[in-house]
Amino acid sequence: MVGIAAYSVYLPRYRLERSKIAAAWGTSQSSGEVAVANYDEDALTMAIEAATGCFTDSDVSLLDGFYFASTSAPYREKQMASVAATACDLPRRCHTSDFCGSSRASLSALLAGFYALRAGALRSVVVAAGETRVAQPESEMEGLLGDAAAALRLGTEDLVAEFVDATSVSEEFTHFWRTDEQRFVQAFPGKFSNTYGYNKDLGEAIRILLERQKLEPGSVARLALYSPDARAAADLARELGFDPKRQLISPPVAAIGSAGAADALLALAIALEEAKPGDLIIVGAYGEGADALLLRATEAVTAYRPRRTWKQWLEAKLMLSSYEKYLKYRRVVEIDEAGEAINNVLEFKELRQDVRLYGSRCGACGLVQYPMAQVCLQCKARAGLTDHKLSKQGTIFTFTIDNLIANLEHPLPMAVVDLEGGGRVYLQVTDFSESEVTVGATVGLTFRRLHEGGGNHNYFWKARPLR
Amino acid sequence: MKDQVAVIGVGCTKFGDLFETSYEELICEAAFEAFADAGIDPAEIQAAYLGTYMPGPSGGKAAVSLGDALRLYDIPITRVENYCATGTDAFRNGCLAIESGACDVVLVLGAEKLKDRGGRGLPRFGHPLLAKGNSAPGLFALAANRYMHTFGMGREMLAKVAVKNHYNGARNPKAHLRMEVTEEKVLKAPIIASPFGLFDCCPTTDGAAAAILCRADLAKRFRSDYIPVKGYGLAVTTGRPFFDPTFDYLGFRSTQMAARQAYKMAGATPRDISFAEVHDCFTWTEISNTEDLGFCEKGQGGSLVAEGRTSLSGDIPINPSGGLKSFGHPIGASGVRMIYECVKQLQGQGGERQVKNPKLGLAHNVGGPGAVSCVIILGNN
Repeated sequence: MVGIAAYSVYLPRYRLERSKIAAAWGTSQSSGEVAVANYDEDALTMAIEAATGCFTDSDVSLLDGFYFASTSAPYREKQMASVAATACDLPRRCHTSDFCGSSRASLSALLAGFYALRAGALRSVVVAAGETRVAQPESEMEGLLGDAAAALRLGTEDLVAEFVDATSVSEEFTHFWRTDEQRFVQAFPGKFSNTYGYNKDLGEAIRILLERQKLEPGSVARLALYSPDARAAADLARELGFDPKRQLISPPVAAIGSAGAADALLALAIALEEAKPGDLIIVGAYGEGADALLLRATEAVTAYRPRRTWKQWLEAKLMLSSYEKYLKYRRVVEIDEAGEAINNVLEFKELRQDVRLYGSRCGACGLVQYPMAQVCLQCKARAGLTDHKLSKQGTIFTFTIDNLIANLEHPLPMAVVDLEGGGRVYLQVTDFSESEVTVGATVGLTFRRLHEGGGNHNYFWKARPLR
Repeated sequence: MKDQVAVIGVGCTKFGDLFETSYEELICEAAFEAFADAGIDPAEIQAAYLGTYMPGPSGGKAAVSLGDALRLYDIPITRVENYCATGTDAFRNGCLAIESGACDVVLVLGAEKLKDRGGRGLPRFGHPLLAKGNSAPGLFALAANRYMHTFGMGREMLAKVAVKNHYNGARNPKAHLRMEVTEEKVLKAPIIASPFGLFDCCPTTDGAAAAILCRADLAKRFRSDYIPVKGYGLAVTTGRPFFDPTFDYLGFRSTQMAARQAYKMAGATPRDISFAEVHDCFTWTEISNTEDLGFCEKGQGGSLVAEGRTSLSGDIPINPSGGLKSFGHPIGASGVRMIYECVKQLQGQGGERQVKNPKLGLAHNVGGPGAVSCVIILGNN
């Protein structure tokens, strides 16, 4: 039996009211908000956030696959899955791959994972999707696109849902696109595309699945769908004979926007959070065709507790003060960023320390110290220091909120953090409101874009108040 | 070692935003003032130490900046760089050169031209990832916040240090910021790095200062009021205190250790010190320094300033010059500038700022923050 062993979602902390977009351009937008990734986030960092929510340190050594899905990856050439696997401290012997191209990429990755497990080629695979798609300023699409991430851990035991069956249809249809030269997502939205693209392709995939499994719509507990706009998924569900109110789960476009490849996994995670043992769940995604998968919740589904509930993610938000901030965060307005190149030899040498986040533990006195030490900071022992994986949670020992340092956002809090299980780190603080940065506050560590430089995004760990 | 070296001449430029002055001009002004003060010909200098964090634009990283500015060739010249303790460490190296018997007369010169390095504070060096986002005020602010959290101290206590040092600096013709400030003005200033507002921070300054050292037994040849070196100490601790889980952030061990060395050499205790020039890069630093140097107990530094004990007429005047806070802080020059102030005070040439009947003066730098500290004790003859 193959299936899902864990699920996790990630929503960036900021929301932008659509009314702010409308006010900026003198246009109209529907009500509600879109989720906005912070200035130091991108599809990769958010996918890592989601991924780390579906395994513990003890699971990591068993993972042998990591698939990353996105249409808005921060690199055109450079494998993101491998970067994510390193930041998550997965073993080097790991099958990694990026899935891209359309909002369907996450389910393509999910299917590839299930097939690899079924074939016995892999044992435990993480599938993580993240999106920070950017629309043309002043276009209608600006109010549609939101940022989010979700991840699943696939395996063969201790499953919360079992993979039953899947169908795919594939045919060229132009609905959303972005050429190799375009910065902003292009779309041909509306009734035509929904009818002859989304409804036709995803409808067909789901119908075939139902037929093959001899299922009536009424016997499926949840239909978890990507939706190209706020209404399309409900229209499709109705057309297929489902009751959208009772059965449909689609990420709330009104509250967070549409997050492309992340949406299908997000919908599935929300469905699993609400699922009862034995529930049948269909998850569907679309883009130049469609994929539909059938899953069955196991007995374990009710006992599974995600790190945070979907409701908590929705509620733990901070409002972005202006539309201009959004333009800056997504680098739509051009600002020269203070940065420096990271020497690739240094990066290579310090990968375990800087990306996998290991310090040293002294065998003689037990002190955990960071960065990695040659001689113990406390007892000066030369021998007996071993690599020590640092915890990603701690408390602020002291801090400052700095207005002087050059950074894309101001002010920049810096915190000295004592980590659970030992080790002290000194990090930038992100996703904060100033009242949360205090002595004694609990923070989590998050992998972020630290600065630009040398034509590269340079990633490192930051601290953020625990929500 | 005590009383083996004497200061026979000192010089110091006006400190400030010296946009029209070059690094070389600053060096010449300070050096030739010191030569004149000592009544010495530059040709008598047998070795020189240049204390500078960032050498002049034409000197690369070496000591040639000093040699070229003064046309001082054919003798050993060494550049000393030890964060904010650069100036006092250069002085300490000058003492060592004389005590070793290698030289009789040495020039120690600290110079810095921060305003030629662009606007926003100091240029950052260091690891591209680790500790990225630190600034000089931000690093000291980590300690200040923890200290204030621990001892329940407010920003108004910090402000008292600024008020006192600006009062002194306003009376010092060579100081960078020659104006008095009120507590209210200090507290209302924009925040640079919490808890430090603008007036909690020293300025970035241009300036140079020089001292001529010679064998104490030869000092009488130059002047009767030479100033004997009583003791010195230098201590280094981790340059990454923010990664040290054992660090309490309540003060700096490097200062405590450097002071211990200096007191021991001088055969003195903190109580014997008449006045001190301490490293008030930020207001909190002065409060902590007075504790680390032993002028009061840990946690009492705030009361020391609040009770007026560190003002010019107090029992332990701190920073009669105006300190880094008001006199300015050209990194490598600061320590030598402190020596300049100590010498002038001990010679009774403190003018309006003269402290009463001084016997021992102490100069102290700490940098890193806390990574390195140097303490020098001078006496009157």
